[in-house]
Amino acid sequence: MYKQNIKLYLIGAAQLLFSMYMVKAQNVNNAQSHTTMQSETVTGKVLDDYGKPLSDVKVSSTSGTLLSVTDDSGRFDIQLVPGREIRFEHAGFDRNAVRIKDRNNIELRMHTAFLGTAYTFSNNTAAAGPGNNIQTLLSKSDTANSDDTLYDKSDGTNTMYTLYGKSDVSSMLGSVATVSGSALYNTPAPQYTYALPGRIAGLNVIQSQGFYIPSLTGQTNVDAFVGNIPTNASGAGPTDNNQFNIQLRGHNASAGQSPVVIIDGVQRELYSIDPEDIESVTVLKDASSSLLLGQNSSRGALVVTTLQPKIGKPHLSFSAQTGFQESLKLPDPLPAYKYAYLLNEALQNDGKTSAYTAGDFDAYKNHTDPYGHPDVNWYNTILNNNAPITRYNLNVTGGTKTARYMVALGYLNQDGFFKTSSANSYNTNVQERRYTIDSKIDFNVNKDFDLGLNILGRLENNNQPGAGASNILSALLTTPNNAYPVYNPDGSYGGSANYTNNLLSQVTNSGYLSEQERDIMVNLDMTYRLDKWVKGWWIKAKGNISVQSASYLNRSKQAPVFQMTVSDAGDTSYARYGSTINQNNTFTSTSWARYWYAQASTGYDKQIGDHSFGAVLFYDQRQALLNYDLPSVLTNYAFKGNYNYQHKYFAEAGLDYGGYSRYQAGHRFGAFYAGALGWDIAQENFIRRNVKWIDQLKIRASYGKTGNANVDNYGYYIWNAHYSIFVPSYGLGSNYPTTTGAEENATLPNVNATWEKAKKLDIGADIALFDNHLQATFDYYHEKYYDVMQSRGNSIALIGANYPAENIGVDLYHGTELSLTYRNSIKDFNYFITGNASMQYSKVLFMDEQYEKYPWNVHTGLPVGQRFGLIADGFVQTPEEAATYPTIAGYTLKVGDVKYKDLNGDGIIDQFDVAPIGRTKPLIYYGLTLGFSYKGFELNVLIQGVQNRDIYVNNGPIDAGFQAQNNGYGQAYEQAQGRWTPETAGAAIYPRLTAGGNVYNNALLLFTSNSLFLHNGNYLRLKNAGIAYNLPYKWLKHLKVGGVKIFVNALNLLTWAAYDQVDPEISLSSYPLQRVINTGINIKL
Amino acid sequence: MLLSRNHTKKLSLQLFVVVAIAMVFASCAKDYEKIPLGQQMSIDLIFDKNDSAGQYAIEFLTNTYNDALFNGHNRLSGDYMDAASDDAISSYTGLSNVEKIATGAYSATAVNADDIWTRSYTAIRSATIFIVNIDRVPLLEKLSDGRPARAAYKAEARFLRAWTYFELVRRYGGVPITGDSVYQLTNNITLPRQSFETCINYIVNELDAAADSLRGEEQVNSANYGRITKGAAMALKAKVLLYAASPLFNGGNIEDGNALTGYTNYDKNRWKLAADAAQAVMNLGTYSLMHNYTDVFTTQAEPIGNNTETIFWRQNGNNTSVETTNGPVGYTSAGGSGRTSPTQNLVDAFPTTDGLQITDANSGYNEDDPYANRDARLKATIFYNGYSWLNRYVQTYDGGLDKPGGTIQQTKTGYYMRKFMGSFENVQGSPVYSNTIHDWIFLRYAEVMLDYAEAANEYSGPGDDVYNVLYALRNRAGITLGDNNAYGLKQGMSQDEMRDAIRNERRIEMAFEEQRYWDVKRWKIAEQVYADPLQGMDIQQTGNGQLYFNKISVLTPHFTAPKMYLYPIPYSEVVKNANMKQNPGWE
Repeated sequence: MYKQNIKLYLIGAAQLLFSMYMVKAQNVNNAQSHTTMQSETVTGKVLDDYGKPLSDVKVSSTSGTLLSVTDDSGRFDIQLVPGREIRFEHAGFDRNAVRIKDRNNIELRMHTAFLGTAYTFSNNTAAAGPGNNIQTLLSKSDTANSDDTLYDKSDGTNTMYTLYGKSDVSSMLGSVATVSGSALYNTPAPQYTYALPGRIAGLNVIQSQGFYIPSLTGQTNVDAFVGNIPTNASGAGPTDNNQFNIQLRGHNASAGQSPVVIIDGVQRELYSIDPEDIESVTVLKDASSSLLLGQNSSRGALVVTTLQPKIGKPHLSFSAQTGFQESLKLPDPLPAYKYAYLLNEALQNDGKTSAYTAGDFDAYKNHTDPYGHPDVNWYNTILNNNAPITRYNLNVTGGTKTARYMVALGYLNQDGFFKTSSANSYNTNVQERRYTIDSKIDFNVNKDFDLGLNILGRLENNNQPGAGASNILSALLTTPNNAYPVYNPDGSYGGSANYTNNLLSQVTNSGYLSEQERDIMVNLDMTYRLDKWVKGWWIKAKGNISVQSASYLNRSKQAPVFQMTVSDAGDTSYARYGSTINQNNTFTSTSWARYWYAQASTGYDKQIGDHSFGAVLFYDQRQALLNYDLPSVLTNYAFKGNYNYQHKYFAEAGLDYGGYSRYQAGHRFGAFYAGALGWDIAQENFIRRNVKWIDQLKIRASYGKTGNANVDNYGYYIWNAHYSIFVPSYGLGSNYPTTTGAEENATLPNVNATWEKAKKLDIGADIALFDNHLQATFDYYHEKYYDVMQSRGNSIALIGANYPAENIGVDLYHGTELSLTYRNSIKDFNYFITGNASMQYSKVLFMDEQYEKYPWNVHTGLPVGQRFGLIADGFVQTPEEAATYPTIAGYTLKVGDVKYKDLNGDGIIDQFDVAPIGRTKPLIYYGLTLGFSYKGFELNVLIQGVQNRDIYVNNGPIDAGFQAQNNGYGQAYEQAQGRWTPETAGAAIYPRLTAGGNVYNNALLLFTSNSLFLHNGNYLRLKNAGIAYNLPYKWLKHLKVGGVKIFVNALNLLTWAAYDQVDPEISLSSYPLQRVINTGINIKL
Repeated sequence: MLLSRNHTKKLSLQLFVVVAIAMVFASCAKDYEKIPLGQQMSIDLIFDKNDSAGQYAIEFLTNTYNDALFNGHNRLSGDYMDAASDDAISSYTGLSNVEKIATGAYSATAVNADDIWTRSYTAIRSATIFIVNIDRVPLLEKLSDGRPARAAYKAEARFLRAWTYFELVRRYGGVPITGDSVYQLTNNITLPRQSFETCINYIVNELDAAADSLRGEEQVNSANYGRITKGAAMALKAKVLLYAASPLFNGGNIEDGNALTGYTNYDKNRWKLAADAAQAVMNLGTYSLMHNYTDVFTTQAEPIGNNTETIFWRQNGNNTSVETTNGPVGYTSAGGSGRTSPTQNLVDAFPTTDGLQITDANSGYNEDDPYANRDARLKATIFYNGYSWLNRYVQTYDGGLDKPGGTIQQTKTGYYMRKFMGSFENVQGSPVYSNTIHDWIFLRYAEVMLDYAEAANEYSGPGDDVYNVLYALRNRAGITLGDNNAYGLKQGMSQDEMRDAIRNERRIEMAFEEQRYWDVKRWKIAEQVYADPLQGMDIQQTGNGQLYFNKISVLTPHFTAPKMYLYPIPYSEVVKNANMKQNPGWE
């Protein structure tokens, strides 16, 4: 199946490329047939999106002859035959074309390309260019640039942000992928993480929740003895991302293995940054590109670069956009009469007494007794169909070659879907309001010394109903339509002994919880070139202080509920349930984190003839101080060297001696290494001379040993044997006083705890063909993780304590990644198609698995995290079958129950009949983005999907219904109609109904998983789509406006899921995924 | 110009160097501890060689109480253990854990909710740490009679450890004994199970050793109220020996010759040991029956309160949890979730006020008014229809306030559990529960007497000493002396008849005290007891208030003999430990 997919994919891509190339070839032929007419001088000016002069634009004829390059004021003059078309090209911009009539002083605006800068490679460097003067022109600008600072824009053409700096793309040997800000830009979402799914090969981004609901857990856990014990033991610090699980090459965030996030050169786990404020996001996947992370290098990195200063007059960009959000896939509750009917059926199946009479059904169905027999669709009652999201962004940048600045301001207001009441003077809805500021100043103190200062600040206010959004959503999932009326006739909130809280009251009348997050991050970067002592020698230093605090204000309250009863005599009385809780006014500090980072490096670059050398000595230290926790300190001493010959043969190697303070003294530092080799075949003469259409054909391989110091995920200072004191303990004393107890730490210390390690091999190829129009990257990786923290299999309980995590596991991850980009233009019709696909295998090589009785019980050798469970094999159809079919201990089978395969044939269903369920095939995930721009129109679409995925849906209310709850039975959904009954035996999806849970059929109560609840998790989403129109410059010129773009874009527009009963990503009762449709305007000055 | 440019350069370099060095050095500042504050407490600090008050050591022991003693009230996921026996079922609307036990829905891989294997060894480790380390602490404290308190504390830990082993042994048979070892990660702990006999001997020896060092009940004051006393060690010894002498282990071993599951022979003398141990407690003179049966469960022990009966209990304190969890569901303002539904089987076990079983033709039992003229302990144990509570009558007829139908949790048998609750029969004004002492009693004097009666009857037949136990209990329960001066008992019973009488007395006297479930097993009568469906009472009320009583089946228990007499050792323990042998039938 998978092979076929890939084959189709490749064939399709090849066909597409071929047809493109044919079109291009024809164009060239046509253009060459008229070259001999009279020419005249044409002058003009090229402008960027801001209406500012754009220098270094290549002006060429349709035949590709370079005619001119624009100067600093964007001007050009050329000799041209009127009526001809000329083309304007600049890296990072869509190509523009103009037919010259008799106009002089052409003013022409170019638009930023969706995919950002195309990396250009050439195997023609030695070949003579057309026209000497042009060549000098170009080379002159090249020379000028090379003297410039690190921040010079000419660096932007062929460099990529990597770990702690930029690297030349043509000589990169690691596995690195990047997505430019202009592609993230049109995602109508509060965080840049929303824009990542489907954009980068190897990065699987899974959304598990549709809204950021912050944690409100207070940070205090007062210890009676001395001081406090931190509650946040993970060492990772507070996070602003609980919507996305970011997996790089299959590694899970839950084990502290999600990629390290580097914001502007500093490790900081920030996700809540506006996509519009991002210049690029780069993912570092292999050992050599992440080596400098030392004890975190196994995790790879997400390098996020916010907007950078641009040289020139002030560029101002302002965007205003607003959209509405709509929930995807809310469950369908059963109307009360169906609920009552099916509950009776369930009770009868269990041999219990019926709960409802025929009169009850009628009352529910006809709504004749709305108070005694309510039928409330709670989803409609407490949720709005859509909710607004609004964003404003303003940024200004400009400067000279010696001093540049950039200031970006952002405002976001995202509302949730809960209903609100006009009676409140305050907001009770879920809401995120965020204010951000990002300012950068780059300053060349003198020719040798560069200074950069960056301040990133964020204020975020998150609101939710006083009852708590998560509580409400889980109550919503489980409250039957007939639980209670919304209001009683007297206007009081309805409720009952089992439902002492009214859902609508919780939404609109429970006050609010307001959480505030404050972040500030200050970077200072310094570079000093010591060329005057040794040519090519430089030193750099970076310092960062970053502070984050979060607190919340609890203004919640609670109203009681009343149940109306009418006695036989006709007297109405109200019974009160639940309690009145007056509005709170408490302030809790939820987290306070300080991060401190220092980095120093010195390097030396030298070119001798065809040989280029580089060497860097590197030191850094990162301290994270959470709440009153002891700081966790990561330190690295590293050396990196690189060499290339004629940009043809490349080699690099590095050694990192990295330490982490949370290990025992003397066991903190470890050595990590990586090396890489590359060969750009396109630079070989036999290609350069013969195969001009190959621009780059680089094969590369890297290998290294990396580490992952995730010990904090397994306990706080787990090597330290200790006792602790806690209150309250056993109440000795005649007054049962609050006593203090002392105990040994429940988990034994692991004095040998050390970092997890990995040996990573990555073999890849970077290919650029047809004048860089087609670019492809292929990677194969083989990563063996060892010393993975796990509990030992041989954990005998006789020890009387919990076993700590130890460095035991060995896991293999391997896979392939492919990304292909084709972009081209037909005149000024610019189009692109870019796709990526990842295929990912994993295998448990060792997990200290104890004796397994049967081969199908064995986990070792299967994919990491393989689900095991009983294999459902239809339903019991006849009493005879029920009498004879194997069952679990203590359960008598009934007709309509699930049949499980008795794998060992012992007549009993138990642990030994548990086998891998679900696919063991590699996970495949992919994304395809395509779009075009033409005369100011832009369109782009992202399709993202996953194959070979399973989802396990064992949600009681959805799958079975009638769960035991509040001394009664909970809600059921339309899915319950798919239950087994004698009449529908053939079409049944679920077993017979039971009330209050069934130990046998119900996955939640069964000792293991059950393949009945395992579903095909494949899905395909139209994740993103956008159209935009740039108003013509001639309309705007007189208004002194550079550019106005109006746009409409969308997120999660359409979903095709193999199993469509639930959303394929989120689990109930999380906040549902949102479809966002958004419109806006962007004005550039 | 040139000079000044160089000057700027120099300045900037200096600036660079200064800032860079400052940043690097800031990281080296020594300003934090090596070990977090909360983790600086080592074993040397807990068992401090210099602390003559032994503060932390005693706090450690306090916590060992927590580890070893659990609260039996609604212990198993909200239900009493007795709801897994024939005395009651859970009212829970879903599938309760006790129902899973009663229906045999457990195995070695999916252990039942009462599986205490792991938790017990945690308690054993905790007690052992105290036992092996407490002698380092130069504790000066003396008991009121001048004996060193350290020995008493150590003996408390030994008692708690012995108690935990007893809890294990009655579930699993012989278990590994870790002795005084505190294992670490590097130790080999593939310990084998010890024989049943070895375990019993170990427990008894530990209790004997502890008894002499423990404080006497008279040495208890308000501060050390709740600590283990000498009487507790002696009473537990009697109970352990009674279990050891019982048919399941003594002569009725579920697997012939398997020393792990019981004695491999029958020895009548084991009954004598049990009887003697119980007699020893009775001879102490410390304990006696309280006058009022209901007060036994809600009164603190002497010398703090005036409860003369309790010997060993878990401290739970003053609360309303028993009432709100188990009270009838119709009392909305007081609260009541009616979690426990006693069975008709239990109700029928209570005699009439004459002490005659209701099956006795002379008992005067009236099927149409089944709760009239019954042993007062019925009223102290069970809510039935018409019971006066919180200023109204309990209505457990169909559609009554306390059995309203619909989906809420309510009685499944027509009864609610009354035992352990405060006396709220006639509360006036706003009907709410107030705080009541709800200590969980593991051992009380009535049990010691019954232990004695049972063992003595088995050893030497129904003598006066045996009769006297039953007389005393029945007298206290308010049963009339009767014409034959035997409280309704037949005079001159055979040993078998007396056995049945003692068993029934034990059942009704100690209902819901987590006895019946174990007694049925140790008497090896489970296959008979659980052979038939458990009964409840369906009560219909007609328009004129006439009640009709119909017995209904409420749960069909399932007991697979003989394997279910013992719990399975958790499969994971067997598979990891080559020396660990599984119980018969669970392999």
